[in-house]
Amino acid sequence: MKKLLTGNEAIAEGAIAAGVDVVAGYPGTPSTEVILTLMAKKQELDFHIEWSVNEKVAFEVAAGAAWAGKRALVTMKMAGLNVASDSIANFSYSGCNGGLVIFVADDPGVHAGMAEQDSRYYAKSMIIPMLDLASQQECWDYVKAAFDISERIKGPVLLRSTTDIAHTASDVEIGKKEKIAKREAYFEQDIAKYTKAGAAICMTQHRDALERLAESLKIVDSYLTESGIKINESHLSPNRYGVIYGGAVEGTLREVLRRFNLEISWLKIGLIHPLPEEKIKEFLTNVDRVLILEELEPLIETEVMRIAFQINKKVDIIGKLDKTFSVSGNYSFIDIKKGLESLLNKKLEAADNPEILEDAKKLQVKRPISFCTGCPHRGTYYALNKAIKNLKYKKNEIIITGDIGCTILGMNKPFESCWTEVAMGASIGLAQGFKWAGIEKPVIATIGDSTFFHAGIPPLINAVYQKVPLVVIILDNGWTAMTGFEENPGTTYFKESPTQRVDIVEVCKGCGVDKIDIIDPYQSEESIRVIEEAIKYPGVSVVVSRRECALQANRRKVVLDKFRVDFDKCTGCRICLNQLACQAMVFHPKTENRKAYMEITAECFGCGLCQYTCPTGAIEVIKDGE
Amino acid sequence: MANNLYLTGVGGQGVIRLGQIIAAYAMEEGQKVKLFKQVGMAQRGGPVHCEIRIGEVFGSRIPPYSADVVAAMEISEALKAAEFIRPGGTVILNESKVYPIDIMIKPEMYPALSEIEEIFHRLQAKIIKLDAAAIAEQLGLPIAENIVLLGAISFVSSFNREQMIKVLKNNIPRQIEKNIEAFSAGYKVAEGMLL
Repeated sequence: MKKLLTGNEAIAEGAIAAGVDVVAGYPGTPSTEVILTLMAKKQELDFHIEWSVNEKVAFEVAAGAAWAGKRALVTMKMAGLNVASDSIANFSYSGCNGGLVIFVADDPGVHAGMAEQDSRYYAKSMIIPMLDLASQQECWDYVKAAFDISERIKGPVLLRSTTDIAHTASDVEIGKKEKIAKREAYFEQDIAKYTKAGAAICMTQHRDALERLAESLKIVDSYLTESGIKINESHLSPNRYGVIYGGAVEGTLREVLRRFNLEISWLKIGLIHPLPEEKIKEFLTNVDRVLILEELEPLIETEVMRIAFQINKKVDIIGKLDKTFSVSGNYSFIDIKKGLESLLNKKLEAADNPEILEDAKKLQVKRPISFCTGCPHRGTYYALNKAIKNLKYKKNEIIITGDIGCTILGMNKPFESCWTEVAMGASIGLAQGFKWAGIEKPVIATIGDSTFFHAGIPPLINAVYQKVPLVVIILDNGWTAMTGFEENPGTTYFKESPTQRVDIVEVCKGCGVDKIDIIDPYQSEESIRVIEEAIKYPGVSVVVSRRECALQANRRKVVLDKFRVDFDKCTGCRICLNQLACQAMVFHPKTENRKAYMEITAECFGCGLCQYTCPTGAIEVIKDGE
Repeated sequence: MANNLYLTGVGGQGVIRLGQIIAAYAMEEGQKVKLFKQVGMAQRGGPVHCEIRIGEVFGSRIPPYSADVVAAMEISEALKAAEFIRPGGTVILNESKVYPIDIMIKPEMYPALSEIEEIFHRLQAKIIKLDAAAIAEQLGLPIAENIVLLGAISFVSSFNREQMIKVLKNNIPRQIEKNIEAFSAGYKVAEGMLL
């Protein structure tokens, strides 16, 4: 049966078909939709699915299940792999009894505003085989293959995707659900296998892991997935030109080859670690010039170069090391065409109108992102900026460290509050460094609720422990909103839920914070006053700015009184718009017949912040029935 | 039938929904489909686009100068698709404007309709203009603005009208009759402008 599925949906469907028993993960673009897809079907699925507190915990949950002989999947984005890496690298030495698949999604071209990290290198340092996805069909096929390989080698398998694969939908052939004999959870105590007691044990485990790696290559060499995909596949052409590639470039490469009617040799590498050494050797003996196509780092390229050197084969290698391609960004149709031109030493003719496109570009409208209509974070940053101003500090002398998630949008206009963005929880740790470096003025850290649970608690404890005067503002909107409104431990459940809520305020108390205040970011005057107090406090003070994400509140049919502009009082000064950049505001410029004025449209959610900004009191609440 | 469709607009205009409906239609027709979605910052006023590729295609992205149809829910967003329209292809411009804050403060920075049209004339594309919001409003279902556009896209792309209506019935939970009216209205506008 064919279904239209994104790569991530296909991963989810593949996991169901593979008979997975436990799925855990932490949201992160472009990996989130795997668990979102499963969560939506939670009622009909008879296995455990969870959003864990962070990726390290998620991995450990999955790993425990795999040690007990079950099939487990853990999902994360590349930044999450950094968080989970400590546990993964050490678990890898022991291997597992059940099947363990670690799904990680990289983001070449930065569609989600984070680093262009190449997670393929982790496979090598962690001694774990890694499959690299090149199509949506492979997403479905490779999950099943990965569980199979994992159980055959008795160790974890990494499955790597990229944004282009993860977010594109395609027709995917869905096969049958695997029939796996019911397994009882069972774990046998084995100190030599499951602990790291001493050098002898560790080194034995290291050799075991290397053996599993070698075994995985043997299995993959002849592997045929359910829809007949060969993981490593080659095609030889009589001419001496070849392409070696891996990952998402496959579709565009085929597109270019067809467009220009090119017939050349190719080697597709689906198992990125360990590389198919023998296949590469054989391929190199059949070509004199070879183009390497892989996004991000030249991993395949350097290995191909090394192998060519070892077998003493003279071959021209075109890739990143000769500067044909960049380490940064996606490979477009034009990039791959250029690569092939370089390989074949000939021009491939195609239409181009650079002047017209340049003119079109000049006319384009830029759309900087801001907070959603009604977003509580708008209120928090508005109050924070006001509090700083009221305390007679200049905006450019108060360092505000930002964190991951929607809260970082406070870096954009009109607030321009956040100065830094590094990693989950880093705002609180960095702020302490600024203080120890000798920054005398107050330093403020802002962080979201999910981010706080994820990695904000240890640095908060550190601040209390080291007695660092610091303001931590936790923008608690109750959801992991940026990635698509996932639940987190602080989410209030409005229907029956098997999970238990953990209150951030109680957590902060438990961390030893003495001064904790709760504000409602829609109540600006009170919020400004409380933040001023917090900034003046000599120790660690936490302000929990609590109000549900407006988009989620809207979905739950929360209705607030809306606002409107009294056109007589409005002078058209645009202070409201300049200070809040609310998407429910429309400015009407002066015309011959009337003065300039602002309008608040039906988009208004009713946060009421604009009221606080208006110097003429022209913004008023619409009372019921009016 | 069109093979490459590039749909663009801003968050909340139903661009992705349009892409999903067209992809579902192509699946119904037994075709191979790729639907690339660029969303991310949609709910925060950011641009949104999707690319639908139908038939024997490999890559998820439309190569330059290869789109048979570019359809913009927000008129200036069409400019961001200029490098994709093929000579002889059709650009469908919905006369709706969404101003980001900079433009709200300085509306004269927004490109004139004639400037947008000129770019596509120079690229040798056909142009269809319509005011989908007004048409949807007239039908009493303002939310069906994107479905009006779907009508125009369907005519231009030579999609089977009856089959598309069947897909609409499967994909739209409420007010299906009004949505079909919206679809037909858009279809007629395109028909009138191109025939």
